[in-house]
Order: sequence, then C-alpha cells, then structure tokens
Amino acid sequence: MKESEDQQNTGVTIVNTGCCHDCGGRCVLKAHVKDEKIIRVESDTGEEPQIRACMRGRAYRQRVYSPERLQYPLRRIGKKGEGKFERISWDEALDEVAAKLKHVKKTYGNSSILLVVGGGNQGMLHGFLPVGLMLQEFGGFTRTWGIASFEGALYASMATYGTIRTGNSREDLLNSKLIILWGWNPAVTIQDPGTSLMIAKAREKGIKIVVIDPRYSDSAATFAHQWIPIRPGTDSAMLIAMAYVIIKENIQNQSFIDNYCVGIEKYKKYLFGLEDGVHKSPQWAENITKVPAAVITALAREYAGSKPAALIAGWAPARASFGEQYSRAANVLTAITGNIGVNGGYASGFMRAYSSRETKYRRVVAGNEKKPESTGNPVEDGAMPRKYALHKLYGGTNPSSARIHNTKVFDAIIRGKAGGYPTDVKMAYVVGANCLNQHPNTNRGVQALKELEYMVIHEQFMTPTAKFADIVLPVNTFMERNDVAPPWLGSPYYIYLNKAIDSMYESKSDLDISRELSKKLGISPGMFALTEDQILQFIAAGQKDITDYAAMKRDGVVKIKLKEPIVSFKDQINDPDNSPFPTMSGKIEIFCEHLAEMNDSNVPPVPTYMSHDESHDSLKAQLFPLQLITSHDKKRAHSTWHNVPWCRDIEHHCVWINSVDAKSRGIENESLVDVFNDRGRVRIKARVTERIMPGVVEIKQGVWFNPDGEGVDHGGCANVLTMDEFSPGGAHHLNSALVQVELSPEAKGAEK
Amino acid sequence: MNQFGFYFNQTRCIGCHTCAVACKDWHDHHDPSINWMQIKTIEKGKFPHLFLTFLAVPCYQCEEPSCLAACPQNAISKRETDGIVVVDQDKCLGKEKCENTPCLKSCRSKSPQFGQKVNAKMQKCDFCKDRLSAGKQPICVEACPMFALDINTIPELQKKYGKQKEAQGFIYSPKIKQAVVFTPKPLVYS
Repeated sequence: MKESEDQQNTGVTIVNTGCCHDCGGRCVLKAHVKDEKIIRVESDTGEEPQIRACMRGRAYRQRVYSPERLQYPLRRIGKKGEGKFERISWDEALDEVAAKLKHVKKTYGNSSILLVVGGGNQGMLHGFLPVGLMLQEFGGFTRTWGIASFEGALYASMATYGTIRTGNSREDLLNSKLIILWGWNPAVTIQDPGTSLMIAKAREKGIKIVVIDPRYSDSAATFAHQWIPIRPGTDSAMLIAMAYVIIKENIQNQSFIDNYCVGIEKYKKYLFGLEDGVHKSPQWAENITKVPAAVITALAREYAGSKPAALIAGWAPARASFGEQYSRAANVLTAITGNIGVNGGYASGFMRAYSSRETKYRRVVAGNEKKPESTGNPVEDGAMPRKYALHKLYGGTNPSSARIHNTKVFDAIIRGKAGGYPTDVKMAYVVGANCLNQHPNTNRGVQALKELEYMVIHEQFMTPTAKFADIVLPVNTFMERNDVAPPWLGSPYYIYLNKAIDSMYESKSDLDISRELSKKLGISPGMFALTEDQILQFIAAGQKDITDYAAMKRDGVVKIKLKEPIVSFKDQINDPDNSPFPTMSGKIEIFCEHLAEMNDSNVPPVPTYMSHDESHDSLKAQLFPLQLITSHDKKRAHSTWHNVPWCRDIEHHCVWINSVDAKSRGIENESLVDVFNDRGRVRIKARVTERIMPGVVEIKQGVWFNPDGEGVDHGGCANVLTMDEFSPGGAHHLNSALVQVELSPEAKGAEK
Repeated sequence: MNQFGFYFNQTRCIGCHTCAVACKDWHDHHDPSINWMQIKTIEKGKFPHLFLTFLAVPCYQCEEPSCLAACPQNAISKRETDGIVVVDQDKCLGKEKCENTPCLKSCRSKSPQFGQKVNAKMQKCDFCKDRLSAGKQPICVEACPMFALDINTIPELQKKYGKQKEAQGFIYSPKIKQAVVFTPKPLVYS
C-alpha cells in the first residue's frame, strides 16, 4: 500500500485504490484517510493516459458512510418485502444459513440451491467468486446464464467471428475517417474510462461522427455531426438496408469478402428477396425504422466509401427481442465493407480489445465439441448443451442446459421442473445482486421471491431485493478490503484496490463470509485456507501483464504500454493461412453454419429483421402504443448509487416523453404520470422533451422499486414494465416493452 | 495583480457532473443547496432539429464583482495576488440577518450561497485557493474526465486557448468583467 503524507494536511494518509462496480470502467481513486476515516478522494493525477473517475467514484464517500449502510446481520421478522428485521449475531446468522443449506441439500438436492449473482460489489476476488467456490465444494448449485448487458451482442459476436475479442483499443479511433456510434452512449455508459475523451479528440481531428439513437443522448449532443433517430427494436432493418444498398451499388469490399468471409451469396438471397419476395431496400426499412430512405442510402454509401470507418454497435439495441439479429447485422456490415483487422476500422462485435487471459484465438477441433467444458460445479457437469447454444465454439457463454436464464429466474422459482426448468428451486443465495429490481418483470419477481423456501443475501444496503431475504449479511465496500480489478473491454490496465479503512460496523467481505460459512458446512477449506493477499497474488500471477505484484499494490494501478493500438483480427487478415478466424469455417461467417444446423426460424443463419410480440406493429401496440426503452443513467451503475445524495440530487427521476405524445395526453413537464402495461404500473414525473422521438418513452433503469399497497411503483423501477423473456441468443428484452402513459390519479384530480 | 480566470471547453463537456461532485467531496459539502460548481444545460430546437450543450458555472471571479459591491458589510474582497473573490465569514451577517442576501441577488451565476442552516454565512467557490497555493490544480480541473477545464492567470489561459469570452448560455458583461476564456460550442442544430 502506498502511504504518503499529504504536505498540506498533517495526519492524512493517501491510499491508492480504485472504483469498482458494475459499469465496465475501473478507475483510479486515491482515498485521503485521517484518523481512520476517508475525508475526501482524488483520482488519477499520474502519467497519461489518466484513468479519471466519474461522478460516481467521486461520490463514493457518501456510499461508504451512508446512514443506510447495513451494519450487522439481520433476520427477517416481518412479511417478505415488508422490510422488518431484527439484529442477530454473525454466529447465529451463519449457523442458520449453514443449517438451511444442509437441509435443502439433504431434502431436495444441491440443484435446488440457486445462486443469483450481480456485479454490485465485485472485483476479481470479492463478489460472488468465493460464494460460488464454497457452494461448489458443498456439492454444487444451480446457476444462471444470460447477462442483461450484452448477451445478444455476445452471441452474435460468437456466431460471426467465433470470439468476443473483436474490439480495437480506443486510441485507434483517431485512425478512422468516419465513426458511427450505433445505440451507444459512452458519455453515460462508462465501458472504458477514456472512451469519451478519445471520441472528442477524433471529432477535433475532423473525423465525422454519426450517432444513431432514439434519444438525442449526451453523446449525440456532444459528439455527433449527424444524429439519426431510429425506432427502437428496428436497428437490424436499417443495417440490413445499408447492406442492400452497398451490395446493389457494388461498393462492397469484394476482395475482403472473397478472402475472409463465407456466405455472402446466401445473404444476398435474403437482401434481394429471392425467398420471401421482399427487397430489403431503404424504402422497406424506412417504413419499419422511421429513418428516411435517403438517409439510409446516404449513410450506406458514406460508410462503404470512407476507408477505414469504425461502426461501433453498442449493446443497448441488442437488449431487445431478437437483439442478436441487430448485432449480427452490424457485424456483417463491418465485414462486407472490409473494415476488419485494419487500423481505423472496427469489427463490430462484443468490443473486448485487451485481454490478459487469452493470448491466442482458440478454435475447437472438430469432433471434440459437443460436451460443455467442466466448470467444477457437480450440478451442471455432464448436462447437455441447451437449445440454440453455440456449443461448438470455444469461449462465449457456457452452454450448459442445467442453467436458468436470468430473465427466467422468477418463472423458474414459481414453476420449477413442471415448467420445463432443470430444477425446483427451493433456496436462493443472492450475492451483490438487486435482482428484483434489475431482472425484468418485477411484479413477477415479488411473487417468486415470496414462494422461495429460503433466501439469504450478501448486501451493503436494504435493497428492494434484500427485503425479501430471510437472512441479510452485511458486506463491506471496496474501500474496506483489498482486490484487483481490470476494466471490461478495451483498456490495458489493472487497478489494485488497497484497503483504505477497516470494515464498517460488523460488515465483512464476501471472502470472509464464505470462509466462515465453509467451516460451519464442514467442507474442505480449499481456497479459503489462503489469506486475501495470497489469493490476490495467485490471481495476479494468472494475468500475463502483471509482472510486479508489489509495484501494482504500491501504485494502485498497472498501465500496460502498448507499442501500437490493439486492432483485433490483424493476424487473421495479414496471415490468413496461419491465423484462421476461430469459427467453424475459419472465416467470418456472414452465413453461420452453426446456426444453420439448428434449422430453426428463430435463429436464421444470416442477419434477419424479425418482428415480435411487442413490436411497434404488434397487436398489443393498439393497447399500449408507446415503446419503452430502459437506458443507463449517468448517476448510477445499474441500481448502485441509487441512494447516494451527491448523485441522486443532480436531477430527479422521470419518464422522458416527447412533447407530441405529452400534449395528446394532457401531460405537462413535471406532471405526475402513470406508465403502465399488463405487467405493472409506475408512477413518476414526466419530463416533456424534444430529446426523444415521438412514440418512444424512456425510464432510466436502476431506481429502486417502491410499491404501494396496490402494487403501483412510486420509485420508478423500469423493470416493473419489462418482459421476462429472452431471445434464442440470450438477449434480454429490456428495450422491447410496450406501454401506455396517462396522467396519474393525483394529477387528474388536480386538473378538476 | 495576476487575475486568475476560468477556462471551459464547451465542445468537450459531456455533462457528466464529475467536476461538481468532486467539488462537493473535496470541500465536504453535504448540504444539497450548496453547489460551488453548477452545471447548466442549454437545450434548443424541436425534434429532430436540436441543440444541446452544457455550461460549467463556478464563481467566475469577476474583475468588478457585483457581489462585492452589494455586500453591506464589506465582507467580500478580491485577493490582491490573484483576484480570487473571497468572503470573510466573520464579517458576513448571515442569510436571515442580512436582508435579501444582496450578494446572491446581484450575482447572475448564483455563486454566493448560504445553504440550509439558519443564518448560514455566505460561502462560494474560491478556485480551491488552498490547492493552488499547494501547487495543485483546483479539484474540478483535476477531476474533469474530458480535460475541458482549466484555471490559471488570464494571460496564460488566453495564450493557450484564445480570447473568446462568450459561450452558449453565457453572456460576458463589461460591467462586472467575468474572468473567463471559452471554447464555445457553435450553435448548430442536428
């Protein structure tokens, strides 16, 4: 730990740590500690590129010292969800949890224990890892699959390229001639801390930037030369129409397609309607997307003609019904224009650029691909691949059919094996997850959590989810323990989080809780025989670029110097004979053979626009005519920071609605309105704005569910309205809900 | 006097509020009505032809501060070395005793602030003068993830960034002479 006396403040020690929650970025924080209390924080003041924390990291003291922090173990004494608890000792709490685990194991089997995890409190060590290891040693558990953020994008990335490592490091954007930010708002969603700065620099260099988004987002406002509003859920149609224009006008990169891709002829059949009689022309797309055909045509020409160009397809449009089709369409468009493996281009895909864990792209050898890799979890070992899983490819999401999709956790609890799920869930072990709030269809979640026989949760705050637990175990924050954390995607660095203060109140780390519980369960200690530092050294030793653990710990960060920007697939393009793409064909799969083998219209082998039950043109839209999108908020990382005043007070939570839709409903700015559908009702204030297209409303996800006695949510939890369904590729349908908006009863009363 | 001023690159600001929260953290402001750094949003136009930008509003340390002139107690002064506008809280009468808080009323940026406590004394952004004297940048400058802010002497700022004194949402007043340099965002609609 680096401890240096601050010159100006006697007695102040500066501890190098970092901010580490579920935003994708990991940022440098320097905690100023005096008399064992953090009195303020600074961020990166070191060498460039600096990893500067955002508002959230800067506000962290109000989270650590929040009067709402959970202070000691709690046992529920009220009804589930009511929020009445009594204080108990750690011994009592862990005895009870151990006894319940043993009971459930003995009575129903290990698969009845469901581990529900989130990124609410997670480094490379702390978070759900130790709990998972403990439950594995205990004989296994049922786990979930399908990450809300990106599962659709991940599936498409695997289908097209056979890998999720498709991104370039951000500084390579300066080599582009055109940058398209598709459904991507990096000004708010921090996936790598330096991203917005790099895009600003690209703009300052004169590089044209186009933003496609139903909202005039902060990124559109700051960076875009051109903003194209698009109807949610129809992005794939526009991308497909762009491919149509490019092929029709013969401006594709034919030699790239010939050398590196398979399946263009089959895609052409779809584009030119050889099977369904529909030309996927800009006019066809205009009717679906509300983007004028001329705009689509012009962008297609510009994208094909700007060499190189970076089309970065954000994950948000893939958080939709058939969201993987959008990502597939974007991936394929980057391929047919030859923007892959070249500086300034971008292989639209999962976006990961830097990875210390994988040094090579791996291909699966034919014949050895059927069985999911062993995870060490006895409950799922030997399970066959689930339907639609890309189980023949290496990497990606584990295809085990023993897992339950995250959108279906509630349904699985309620219906169990009788509903087609792999097990009957009796007990939920929840770690760093506010699943009631963050999984779709909150009201179904209320029903499900009530039906559980037992639930234990590791938490820092009394979240809407924690209120349903039988036992709540207070967990410390990253300021109160040591950890290592890399950012998710593209930036080559690691943060070492030095412990700044002792654990607050009686809180403990996930590691210590698991360690103590393991003893009570009478299982072999395994990793828990090691100290926190020994485990972190072990984790660090597995990363190729951490060569000096002591230096990393001292400095709080390791910035890896790159000789040149990372450009994914450079080897595949420069030396295709020795570096095939890690797909089954060894090439970029415009037509994906793996999907074709499934022979199922839900997973077409070429990118395809598909309508669904809550499309803008569905029958349901007659009842609920507005499309809801549930975006990220700059004030939170999902539901974390919800209760931090420095962030929360910046602007109050509201539903964005266009003035046209507001006027026809008698809604004014700040009116209290009901946003509702057949799944639930949310009562919040309206923000009447031109920044969202007519027909679309937005509730930023993550604000805590706060129902009244009649089930109306006064908090403004977006997932009260979203549907608990997933696409074949695993995409959550978080941006596919239809709703209606009307004045609330209060506002109607005030009018009279 | 080497008048210190504020530089804001409006074309870079993404409205992330990092500067404002860093300010609250550094100065330990937990009262929500205390905002030494304010972020103004400027929104114009009708869908789909829009213009949106942000304006960072600290105290602009005017050369002829209206707050200084308005204070009945002579509690507000400009530091001789750097022109930073400071308040002597011992002289300040406080929110209720000083009728109408003339310093706050006179300031178009609402930089003199009182907070929620009864008879709170005036407080304001002082460009983190303690950090400056320790050789550090003010916390907002050091915090900005977009490197859109700077605080230095006016000649230094002008040398680096030019002499533009206006930006969207901001009007320069020759009467009070705000100590500013901007890179303004051009008014172009989407």
